[in-house]
Amino acid sequence: MSLVTIQHLTKIYSNHVSVRAIDDVSLALERGAFAALAGPSGSGKTTLLNLVGGLDRPDRGTIVIGDAEITAMPAGALADFRLAHVGFIFQAFNLFPVLTVLENLEFVPALQGRPAADRRRRARELLAAVDLAEVGDKRPNELSGGQQQRVAVVRAILTEPEVVLADEPTANLDTANGARLLDLMERLNRERGVTFLFSTHDPQVMARARRLIRLRDGRVEGDEQRTPAGEPARP
Amino acid sequence: MLFLTMAWRNVWRNRRRSALTVSVIALSLTFNILMRGIGDGFHEQMVDNSVRANIGHLQVHRKGYHDDPGLNRTLPDPARVARAIRALPALRGYSLRVLGDGLASTDENSAGIAIVGIDPAQERTVTTISHAVTEGTYLGDDAPRPVLIGERLAATLKARLGDKIVLLVQAADGSMGAQLFHVSGIFRSGAPDLDRGVAYIRRQDAQDLFALGDRVTEAVVLLDASAAVPAAQAALRAALPVEGAGACEVLSWNQVEPFLEQFIVLDDAFFYIIVAILFIVISIGILNTILMSVFERVREFGVMMALGTRPRQVVRLVVLEAAVLAAVGIAVGGTLGSLLTIYFAENGIDLSSFAAGAASIGITTTMVYSRLTVANVVLSNLAVFLLVVLVALYPAVHAARLRPVDAIRHV
Amino acid sequence: MKLGITAAAGLLLAAALRVAAAPPDALAIARRSDEALKGKTQHARVSMTVRTPDWERTLDMESWYANPDRMFIRITAPAKEAGTATLRIGQNMWNYLPQVERVIKIPPSLMLQPWMGSDFSNDDLVKESSLVTDYTHAIEGEETMGGDRCYRLVATPKPDAPVVWGKLVLWIRVSDDLPRKEEYYGENGDLRKVLTFDDIGPAGHRPYPMRWTMRSIAKPGHETVLVFHAIEFDRPIPDRIFTQQNLKRVF
Ligand SMILES: Nc1ncnc2c1ncn2[C@@H]1O[C@H](COP(=O)(O)OP(=O)(O)O)[C@@H](O)[C@H]1O
Ligand SMILES: [Mg+2]
Repeated sequence: MSLVTIQHLTKIYSNHVSVRAIDDVSLALERGAFAALAGPSGSGKTTLLNLVGGLDRPDRGTIVIGDAEITAMPAGALADFRLAHVGFIFQAFNLFPVLTVLENLEFVPALQGRPAADRRRRARELLAAVDLAEVGDKRPNELSGGQQQRVAVVRAILTEPEVVLADEPTANLDTANGARLLDLMERLNRERGVTFLFSTHDPQVMARARRLIRLRDGRVEGDEQRTPAGEPARP
Repeated sequence: MLFLTMAWRNVWRNRRRSALTVSVIALSLTFNILMRGIGDGFHEQMVDNSVRANIGHLQVHRKGYHDDPGLNRTLPDPARVARAIRALPALRGYSLRVLGDGLASTDENSAGIAIVGIDPAQERTVTTISHAVTEGTYLGDDAPRPVLIGERLAATLKARLGDKIVLLVQAADGSMGAQLFHVSGIFRSGAPDLDRGVAYIRRQDAQDLFALGDRVTEAVVLLDASAAVPAAQAALRAALPVEGAGACEVLSWNQVEPFLEQFIVLDDAFFYIIVAILFIVISIGILNTILMSVFERVREFGVMMALGTRPRQVVRLVVLEAAVLAAVGIAVGGTLGSLLTIYFAENGIDLSSFAAGAASIGITTTMVYSRLTVANVVLSNLAVFLLVVLVALYPAVHAARLRPVDAIRHV
Repeated sequence: MKLGITAAAGLLLAAALRVAAAPPDALAIARRSDEALKGKTQHARVSMTVRTPDWERTLDMESWYANPDRMFIRITAPAKEAGTATLRIGQNMWNYLPQVERVIKIPPSLMLQPWMGSDFSNDDLVKESSLVTDYTHAIEGEETMGGDRCYRLVATPKPDAPVVWGKLVLWIRVSDDLPRKEEYYGENGDLRKVLTFDDIGPAGHRPYPMRWTMRSIAKPGHETVLVFHAIEFDRPIPDRIFTQQNLKRVF
């Protein structure tokens, strides 16, 4: 059974001209997926991720995550759904500058009402797991871009969401740091079964995905399961 | 807790701006507390002056006397009234008086006046008129029929110490009473009504002049503090008949002189108008800073909401930040305002430049001593705090209404 | 043009009618009434009874008056006030108080105070002649008052006149111009005092009201009654009567 089911999704922006940013897209994303959304700039990657993350509303079509149809939820419920079930990684990292790394990691569990000691322990654990234990008490602006984005990945997966959505997570990183980030995401996907859907137009990043969904002009142009470089194919 | 940390650190992100906002809050609170403190002190002094100059805290008359005073309404059973008064716990002093209208004349001039017949020793326990004597004595010499007059009445009558004054009255029996008095003292109370229009004579002389026998028209009571008035008033009302033939009325200073309280109400209204204007001005300033700090962080709010923060929680964060600003401002301003108020309570403020106006409303001193009350501090702090929080609601709601998709894209 | 002529004719006719129905001359009536009450001079024995809800007392007195504005009153009984005297010359007024052997000049500020505790004010004594000169007059019909046909005369103060009343209304007997009643209105139009003239009888060779009653409206139960026991008109009064020396004279 698939984790995310998208059916006949259409999103039209109509300012001066009307743009079909997403045009009748139907997709299914299986649990444990490590999928990339690829396509040139303006192909609708960000729009699709926003729709799946419940940050934006489609004009037509439905999105079901787990057994919840998020396209039918009222705004408040949608915020709660995101809090409980969706992790986000942003292109520009978007850590809170006034909070330390640990506090940033605690933000989502705090919103969820988890006890302070628990969330702090878990934040430390995961930070250590990604080899960032020593930056826990630093502020984001004291970290390199690569470090910040790795913290952002930890923030996204900390509360074990059903799916983590990442919009061009490596776009602001150099190649080496981009590769390291992908390593981390891959590891989390493999070791913890975190489902990732990330967008990119970087062929090196596409090469790491196990499923590649190609968008063009808001339509799915191609959808292939693949064996990423340097990884054994699964049975 | 994490929100409080965020709010606190957000406030200090732009130190200069926040310091400025805190200063504005602190200064307006200081102003508020100090002005209120001066007003409180001034009003209490005003009441105290009136109470101590003439009217006392409480007056007892025959029922109906206050609305229509006259010699036909003398105090029923003064001995009983005096006993009831002496039983009051907070009593400082009381005086049984004869009050009536009359004409004072010298060879030079005449003036319509109020004649107050007092027992000098008894009156001294209630009013300060004995301290106001500037020439001669306080009805104290041995000559028959002394009269103590205010300096403005003395000027009108062209009367000097030792001069003879005729007091002409209509007595209680309707006859015309006239007696020769001699000026034994001249006083300056600073209250125009007293200095211009009152002659004090001995109670016995007044009873003769007004053909009153041993009757008096009023009992005036001074208490330890004006706070004791309601209890004492109730006690006297319970101890004295308030209905029937020998009924008495027991009036508090503000019933005797409603003008005083009206002035205070008016003065307070004026103060609150000024405070309202001040609050409007500072609200605009505070609104501006909070709006700016919200606009600078649109993307942050977008991220917060994308991560699942509810709009209500965004409102709470922004309001919390304003509350932090307010709390710091209140800590500073509340302390400063209280200290200044205490300083001026000790040292006073010289308002001699307003004295001309003050005299016309019964102010007899140009020094005003402020007074710090718990109510002032609590209410001022609360008002400023609520104001800031209320002002923050607009930017807070604005932030909460941001759409995460737009906000995150915002640069 | 034709209309103009008609209108002019109409106006002329109206004017003629008004002359024909000319009302009595109000000023002349006021003047005659004033004269009828005062004469050229007056010398009288009067008793004044003041009634209030709390007490009632009677003063006997002797009074002299010389038109237009001189008056002298001396109280002869009871003993407490006997010898008390009031002298008025024009706008000036003095009281003599035998108890203290002093003459007191009554200041203008006390003109509205009661005279000798009565319902007459000092002003009532001082301002009597001003009915003619200080007011404008209008006759507003005729009414029957105490069985007599009377003019109803309304006296309104002239703009700058030193008058404390807002309006006076007088009922004046048509037959001989004697007043029967006067109403005193305050400046806001409320009735303050009512003076009635009764017991009209012969005084020498003229009719005269021997009993005057001043009733206070503001103070219910307060009234003052003047009763003339003897009155003589138009006999010369020596000037020494109207002097401050005379005030202090032991009589
Ligand atoms: N808020 C918007 N208003 C109008 N048009 C938009 C808006 N966001 C995106 N678009 C348009 O929708 C299309 C898809 O954009 P986007 O999803 O951002 O593509 P990508 O992320 O692949 O570059 C583009 O043509 C873009 O111009
Ligand atoms: Mg994009």
